[in-house]
Amino acid sequence: MTSFLVHMLRTSAERNPRAEVVLHRERRITYGEMWSNVLRVAAFLREHGLEKGQRVALLLENSPEYIAAYYGALAAGGVAVALNSAAKMRDLANWLQHSGAAWLIVDAKHPEFSQITARYDGVGLRLVLVGDGNAPEPSHAHSWDDVLTTTPRVDALLDAAEEDVAAIIYTSGTTGRPKGVTLSHGNLSSNVASILQYLKLASMDRCLNILPFYYSYGNSVLHTHLAVGGSLVLENSLAYPHKILERMAKEKVTGFSGVPSTYSLLLNRTRLSDYDLSALRYMTQAGGAMAPAQIKRLKEELGHVDFYVMYGQTEATARLTYLPAEKLFDKLGSVGIPIPGVEILICDEHGNPVPNDVAGEIHARGNNVMLGYWNDPEASRHVLRNGWLKTGDIARRDQDGYFYIEGRRSDMIKSGAHRINPKEIEEVIAELDAVAEVAVVGVSDEILGQTIKAVIVPRVGAELSAMAVQAYCHKNLAAYKIPKHIEFVTELPKTASGKVMRYLLSDQKALNQELSL
Amino acid sequence: MSAETKLRTYILENYLFTKDPSALNNNDSFLTKGIVDSTGMLEIIHFLQDEFHVHVDDAEMIPENLDSVNNLVAFVTKKTSPPA
Repeated sequence: MTSFLVHMLRTSAERNPRAEVVLHRERRITYGEMWSNVLRVAAFLREHGLEKGQRVALLLENSPEYIAAYYGALAAGGVAVALNSAAKMRDLANWLQHSGAAWLIVDAKHPEFSQITARYDGVGLRLVLVGDGNAPEPSHAHSWDDVLTTTPRVDALLDAAEEDVAAIIYTSGTTGRPKGVTLSHGNLSSNVASILQYLKLASMDRCLNILPFYYSYGNSVLHTHLAVGGSLVLENSLAYPHKILERMAKEKVTGFSGVPSTYSLLLNRTRLSDYDLSALRYMTQAGGAMAPAQIKRLKEELGHVDFYVMYGQTEATARLTYLPAEKLFDKLGSVGIPIPGVEILICDEHGNPVPNDVAGEIHARGNNVMLGYWNDPEASRHVLRNGWLKTGDIARRDQDGYFYIEGRRSDMIKSGAHRINPKEIEEVIAELDAVAEVAVVGVSDEILGQTIKAVIVPRVGAELSAMAVQAYCHKNLAAYKIPKHIEFVTELPKTASGKVMRYLLSDQKALNQELSL
Repeated sequence: MSAETKLRTYILENYLFTKDPSALNNNDSFLTKGIVDSTGMLEIIHFLQDEFHVHVDDAEMIPENLDSVNNLVAFVTKKTSPPA
């Protein structure tokens, strides 16, 4: 059998080919058209030598082309590697090399496009360009038109077993050690099936999606809606929240998904009651804790909408728990109960379960737990033990079986929808000659949850400005990883063994006290 | 300093991290070019309030007013001009 996701898309297309699957800017694409394009992508890749298990990287914004390329790659037996389109060449080259991608389907308008073609045109990686850019066209690349003029062929579909690798999602690793979460077809299908059960999605559902598909949350919104024959209205930025709400009203949207900063922006910069959102049936929230006061405000404005708080990890495909909408106020502050097919234990540092109401690390088990990190058995062993995923998140469970997140065991920064490894930013800043030492931490932010702060010890006699540091980060890192705050100090607070005391760096008052000792 | 110069300098230094004027065209779309994201847009609104005493109503938070230096200059000019 073909991949479950491809099978579900095919079923939706055969059942109702004229139903709309995706609305993007002025375009409205039907299931029939999308399915034909998926077959074209699959046929094109197979005719050009794609072998089962080869990696097909995508560097595309959310669009109909992204969907056709992703499902086409799966249908042809390939592994979809959706790259973060905000990333700079440094990360992109690292991920392409690490994944061993055979193909890259890339937006010709991508800011790093010239560098990509200069490096890869005719050398190892085969390119397909989507759209027209300003840079000169590479001589060895194929165009998206080449794909669309390929005859769609059902015999291009390749069977996929549950345990076959389907996708790699690069998450918060470092340059030296990228973390490619490796998901099987079974992982994806299991998480989709569980989410469909509690969200009760159906073909009449139409979700306005602003989440990037290259992250696990957006990825799950995409697959769940396509699996039931629903539709997605794509908007790729929240910079103008009124435009989002206007579109939700105009398209009679039934669903919306966001992270806490999404809802914070909507609540603070719009009046939801000014828009006809009567068709809206559900909203979901994941990606960190949303303040209970914000949830209450949202429900005051949109009382008819079911609001689902959820928790998950890329390593678990996307979702691990959800709070049933009817329990929202009974269990405010909770991330709910395990989704169908998932078991969760709260464990102490030795891996032993702890009693209710005692905090410990979340361990999760289910068919949605990843195969491992791509080409990194050591890192995989570190988090996968006897079929259980050690999440690194700290939580407690109440007497009724509801989970409450209390923190994280790692130093990871959570800013908006992004999970950021501070070491990655430290690596970049440390490359500056004028930097002797650097430590990066997250500091509280009203909208984003956290923003990034870099604390730098300059070399003696060296001149270094905050703007020079930010400019270097801007050249090498995605915009959301650029430190908002730069602080220069004469030394970093350290333990007796020389480890930087990061918790002091997040708290300016404590830092001043420590350094004055 | 003119409104245009103030706005250009603010965008250059805070989002492109440079003083090089050639890094920003007055017609460059902040969103399309990836210069400013949704939280950056809120910061620009605060800058307009602090620097020009221009209050941005929620309904005025649209690309036609905010998505390039030229759009910002026109918006600030309109908001600070005495009524005809």
